Amino acid sequence: MEFTYIGKNVPRPDAVAKATGKVRFLDDLRLPGMLHAAFLRPTHAHAKILSIDTAEAERMPGVVKVVTGRDIRFRYGENIKDRLPLAVGKVRWIGEPVAAVIAETVREARAAVGKIVARYEPLPVYVDARDAMKEDAVLIHEESGTFEHLPGMEAVPGTNIAGRYTLRKGDVDEGFRRAEVVVEGEFNYPFGSSGAIEPHGAVALFHEDGTIEIWSSSICPFIVREDVAHVYGLPASAVRVHIPEVGGCFGYKSDVTIEQTVAYVASFVPGRPVKWVATRQEDLLSTLIGHGMRTRIRIGARRDGTLTALRTTVIHSTGASKDTGIHVLIAATHNSTGAYEFPHCLLEGLSVYTNTPPVGAYRGYGHQESQFAVERMMDILARRLGMDPFALREKNYLGPGRTTSLGERLWESNGDVRKCAAVIREIVFSRPKAAAEDDRYYYGRGFAALMKSPKGAPFSSKSCYLKFNADGSVSINMGGAEVGQGLRTVVRQVAAEALRIPPERIAVYTEIDTQFSPWEWQTIGSMFTIQGGRSVIRAAEKAIAMMKRTAAQVLRVDEDRLVYDGEHIFLNHDPSVRVAVAKLARGYMYDDGVTVGEVVHATSDTRLPRQSNPDACGQGTMGITYTFGAQACELRIEKATGRVIIDHLASCFDVGRVINPRQIRGQVTGGAMMAIGATLYEELRFRPDGTAVNPHFRKYGFPTVREMPGRWTVEFVETPEHIGPYGARGIGEHPVIGVAPAILNAIHDAIGVEFYEIPVTPEKIKKALEEKGKN
Amino acid sequence: MGQTITLTVNGVRRSVEVEDGERLIDVLRERLGLTGTKRGCDDGSCGACVVVVDGKAERSCLFLAAKADGREVRTIEGMADGRALHPVQEAMIEAGAVQCGYCIPGIVMELDALFSRQPDAPDEAIVEALARHLCRCTGYEAILEGARLARRKLAERRPA
Repeated sequence: MEFTYIGKNVPRPDAVAKATGKVRFLDDLRLPGMLHAAFLRPTHAHAKILSIDTAEAERMPGVVKVVTGRDIRFRYGENIKDRLPLAVGKVRWIGEPVAAVIAETVREARAAVGKIVARYEPLPVYVDARDAMKEDAVLIHEESGTFEHLPGMEAVPGTNIAGRYTLRKGDVDEGFRRAEVVVEGEFNYPFGSSGAIEPHGAVALFHEDGTIEIWSSSICPFIVREDVAHVYGLPASAVRVHIPEVGGCFGYKSDVTIEQTVAYVASFVPGRPVKWVATRQEDLLSTLIGHGMRTRIRIGARRDGTLTALRTTVIHSTGASKDTGIHVLIAATHNSTGAYEFPHCLLEGLSVYTNTPPVGAYRGYGHQESQFAVERMMDILARRLGMDPFALREKNYLGPGRTTSLGERLWESNGDVRKCAAVIREIVFSRPKAAAEDDRYYYGRGFAALMKSPKGAPFSSKSCYLKFNADGSVSINMGGAEVGQGLRTVVRQVAAEALRIPPERIAVYTEIDTQFSPWEWQTIGSMFTIQGGRSVIRAAEKAIAMMKRTAAQVLRVDEDRLVYDGEHIFLNHDPSVRVAVAKLARGYMYDDGVTVGEVVHATSDTRLPRQSNPDACGQGTMGITYTFGAQACELRIEKATGRVIIDHLASCFDVGRVINPRQIRGQVTGGAMMAIGATLYEELRFRPDGTAVNPHFRKYGFPTVREMPGRWTVEFVETPEHIGPYGARGIGEHPVIGVAPAILNAIHDAIGVEFYEIPVTPEKIKKALEEKGKN
Repeated sequence: MGQTITLTVNGVRRSVEVEDGERLIDVLRERLGLTGTKRGCDDGSCGACVVVVDGKAERSCLFLAAKADGREVRTIEGMADGRALHPVQEAMIEAGAVQCGYCIPGIVMELDALFSRQPDAPDEAIVEALARHLCRCTGYEAILEGARLARRKLAERRPA
């Protein structure tokens, strides 16, 4: 297929406004009469609140109102209503909002927060699910089991187990009976932060007429609208949510994060907007964090390498709420097979309340956490079998006709992991290693294959509103949140291709506003290109059909004899009989002013096809499409320091179709760098008492340009997707999935040490080398 | 309590009242409405708030407003002339370094300071300057490429 605009480096529509600092992020909003909020955070991670004295704070200059959770009578949440806008009666994590000051300036609000006196009675603190699950553990949510929730998300009342997910495929006992070799291990992916450079923020305004207006650094305006409307007993149409420019998301700006808290506080000062923007410490401790996931994995195989069984237990420290973490757990559990077919599976996930910030999405909903385990295990199993690790993987890769843990039979159009692996193998492993070590370094290289499953909801959809302007140019409005991933460019390119109009003549929406924007569930799961792109094509086809209807009247022929080329609609056997597209945009006007036909604008949507809820075995269909890939790295370990230097990070994904080569490369290098951070440097650490060790970037371990790999390989396989626009699939989350296992497999290759936990810091490597030296 | 400072911002002399301990970022964003300078961390570790003070890249979230008295400050708003972009901005866009855009103003100002002082700054100096900035989107490849492209563009525009 020949393309005019697809596959080209069409410029980003938003680049100039961003490079000049002119785009408006949440913190750049200034509304008339705007007040500012600041929050008191607890001194204990788990405690009863004995008293909150706000008297002195109320007398501070500029203070308009001090708000506590004393009168709160509701809980909220989109999956399970276990969340509170402010602490009520007790505190459950160190970043929880306890009280708020509303003042004329941020400085005044913060100064007054310092005058609030809260007294606590400490309770036992659990920062790890394994402790919170113990029989004698104190309950973090005494009412757990009574919270309203979606089907299949029951808690275990009387325990801190907030949810369970069990998936059965085949008969796992039979699978292990057939096994001749069994390997097992336990892997830990500790807490981290999505860490966008723009912190979370929101503005809430309760209008005097009873409607509510919210601005938020969110990627799910419609979910925020529905959740807030529900709490305040309003029709969704009475809540208006705006999304200004979003400065990076990576997961933690999805779902409802801080909006209910800011809204509750603002409800005390109707008529005036209240703004709150997180400090970096609040962004790390008071929004959503990532991971906190431990994966126990047991694999059975025949001596020839055929996999027979997989038993996984994923234990998730979900924090003080499971509302946002439950889908991370479910996806981690069913994706713990990685890119392999296991005929027999028993996969269990346990979501456990802990006294840590709530865990939410982090680029890929659990994929990186559990595939870290299975990809490390494939190398370990290969060594046990005395088999080439590539040959072992080859024997077991998922592909057309094979079934995932969920029981979904894959098609060719789901992509080709073998091709991706072959590309990476050729680039990284076709030559022998230059050296095992020299005076200064040990050298190693490692590989990981990966699978990205869909993650949606049965009703999730993306809509498009496309209108032709009087001159034949086009404006497109959608509800997808641009967070830097470049979806505006994708919309423009797909529309240009579908309408055969140059991209410069297509304007793409900037802000999202629930009052004007077509509905979208939320912009998550690497699904915008595939669903949003399909919506654009559908709307374009409708618009073209409308113009053909009008042209058929004007040219007095049947519609099916007409051809559209972006500039004209003409008779198929005589292009000179034609009418210009610009003359059809508002219907066709004859010389005497009489106008026929329709104004050309079209709406469309794209749902996840065949998405279902899990059945009694935990199986079901995930709806959209799977994607596969492979990653590898070449690294050096400095003998003197234990420091890991990534010399080469190679990635190959079957993306179906590359829409924009420059943008997609940026997605891959950005994602891989984020995962290098998680693998080698980053961790959000909590002391046993639940206080945070490093809640600021200075100590968090965020990688800089100095940690960038010496060389990047970014390659793509293009097996067209059956519903994606021009065959395209998503890419946003995929580049983080294989990095940790590839690096840890390479570290083993370099020094023969098995690591089961990240981040692998220089101290851990030095210690391992010293222990190895002793033996 | 407080003082009045006079500083030149993007070529215009401005007098503002500032409170004790107030930082330059607040003068720019809150008092002068120059919101192109971004806040990302409050402890000087992310670089999103970098502006140029008397030719030097400074983290405006740490820089005391009182210290800016009598000095010349250049922000992202002073880079493009309303029609043409500054070569550093052009280079960042062309290299694909602009994703979410939140870190870009700080990086542009850092590079403006670097290339003004050292037009042929070697790669090591570029890396050293960029290492003061955090970006979650790009993995830094495109930013580094953009910085090298900016160096080239600036060299081409210099009179021989």
